[in-house]
Amino acid sequence: MRKIVTAALAGTFALALAPAASAHHAFGAEFDPNRPLVLRGPVTKVEWVNPHTWIHIEVQKEDGTTEEWMVEGGTPNTLLRNGLNKQSLAPGTFIVVDGYQAKDRSNRANGRNVTLENGQKIFMGSSGTGAPRDGFDPNER
Amino acid sequence: MNVMLDRLLLIGLAAALCAPALAAEIPRTKQGKPDFSGTYDVATLTPLQRPEMFGENLVLTPEQAEKIAAERAAYLAADLEPSDPNRSAPPAGGDGSTGAAGNVGGYNAFWIDAGEGAFRVDGEFRTSIIVDPPNGRFPEMTPVAAKAQAERRRWFRENTGEAWWMAEEGPGPYDDPELRGVGERCLLGFGSTAGPPMLPVLYNNVKRIVQNEDTVVILTEMNHDARVVRMNGEHAPPHMRFWLGDSIGRWEGDTLVIDTTNFRDETSLRSGTRDLHVVERFRYDSEGQVVYSFTVEDPNVWTRPWSGEYAWPRTDARLFEYACHEGNYALGGVLRGARLLEREWLEKHGRQGSE
Repeated sequence: MRKIVTAALAGTFALALAPAASAHHAFGAEFDPNRPLVLRGPVTKVEWVNPHTWIHIEVQKEDGTTEEWMVEGGTPNTLLRNGLNKQSLAPGTFIVVDGYQAKDRSNRANGRNVTLENGQKIFMGSSGTGAPRDGFDPNER
Repeated sequence: MNVMLDRLLLIGLAAALCAPALAAEIPRTKQGKPDFSGTYDVATLTPLQRPEMFGENLVLTPEQAEKIAAERAAYLAADLEPSDPNRSAPPAGGDGSTGAAGNVGGYNAFWIDAGEGAFRVDGEFRTSIIVDPPNGRFPEMTPVAAKAQAERRRWFRENTGEAWWMAEEGPGPYDDPELRGVGERCLLGFGSTAGPPMLPVLYNNVKRIVQNEDTVVILTEMNHDARVVRMNGEHAPPHMRFWLGDSIGRWEGDTLVIDTTNFRDETSLRSGTRDLHVVERFRYDSEGQVVYSFTVEDPNVWTRPWSGEYAWPRTDARLFEYACHEGNYALGGVLRGARLLEREWLEKHGRQGSE
């Protein structure tokens, strides 16, 4: 019984948080649920801008040609406070993104889940994509 | 005798240590006013409105607060776990996510900074920011405001990837950029982050206060919104209207009081109108922590005033620039996308007698 109560408590808090969890804009207004995709390729550029970061990648298509895609992330300021910066995701880093294409049919997608080639989350991975967490940075969490 | 004296001194010392923060202990300016200058991280997991299960209970037990923090930490840790490198695309038709994630998902948790636990005021963890009405929830709306809200909610449909609004009378949600919210247009940060009232949001919760005798400036990271409070000033004439309102300040003892009026038709606070009136208060609580409280009045919207308060913990973290228009590709994308979906709708359904 006690377990149920505490689980419900945390659950209710999480639920109550939902309205606060509105982003700068509704992703539902921008991206098309009928166009799911998975993108694989090297990073070509990172636009470290507000309100949302855009990661550019060169997607290798099955016919051997490539096309550039842009993947929408969150505010870079949160990462800056965690000791990361634009150089933390170096061009050439191979990434995997699963998300949905923009409704305007441009080569843009939401960065629903962005990982390195081995599945580790970008900015959390070990292959040169994260700032050292060595205790030197007072903001390190 | 000396032993007795020592004991008395010890008891006196202990009492002084246990007493609530004395007026002399808080930081003060040269003029003797409380000094609120500094940088704050106002992120908190405590919601604005109290979850109904808590009823009129404003306070969480430390055990409950610990549980909430642990659940949050576990959720974040799970989201940061590696994914299958050979994963396929998410489901066609949407991933079922709700809210701003709108059936397509948002982004990974490493972008998010919504706090690690519930906030504490005077040593007690809280269930909601709203303290009045006593149930911690918004008071009843006026009939006019309730109708306007219902009208807006008509636009919050599940994201099906279709231009459903083409089948309805009246304007659609994407007809005009000015129908989009002030956050989406980069005019103000979302969620009333710069307010007033200034509320915690999903990320960018860092604020900076700079204070002198004549002026208090409150800088909110998102969208680099600065409120300039004129101490002992008078409000601007009624025809002058401001996105952040017009703020004047005064001291009531050791409390800084800020009175804000002269809003525009659209306010940062959801549902607010040009007649919004917000009174904010900054004080130090018994633990020496800055507490921010506010009372909101808008006769066009709510049938009575409502009030809230939460802690503003100091932080060593830096506040960064937030140039919202720099990367705001989304608004153009949303409007272009709507035009394409409308064209597809017309191809599929025809004009349905509209011509």
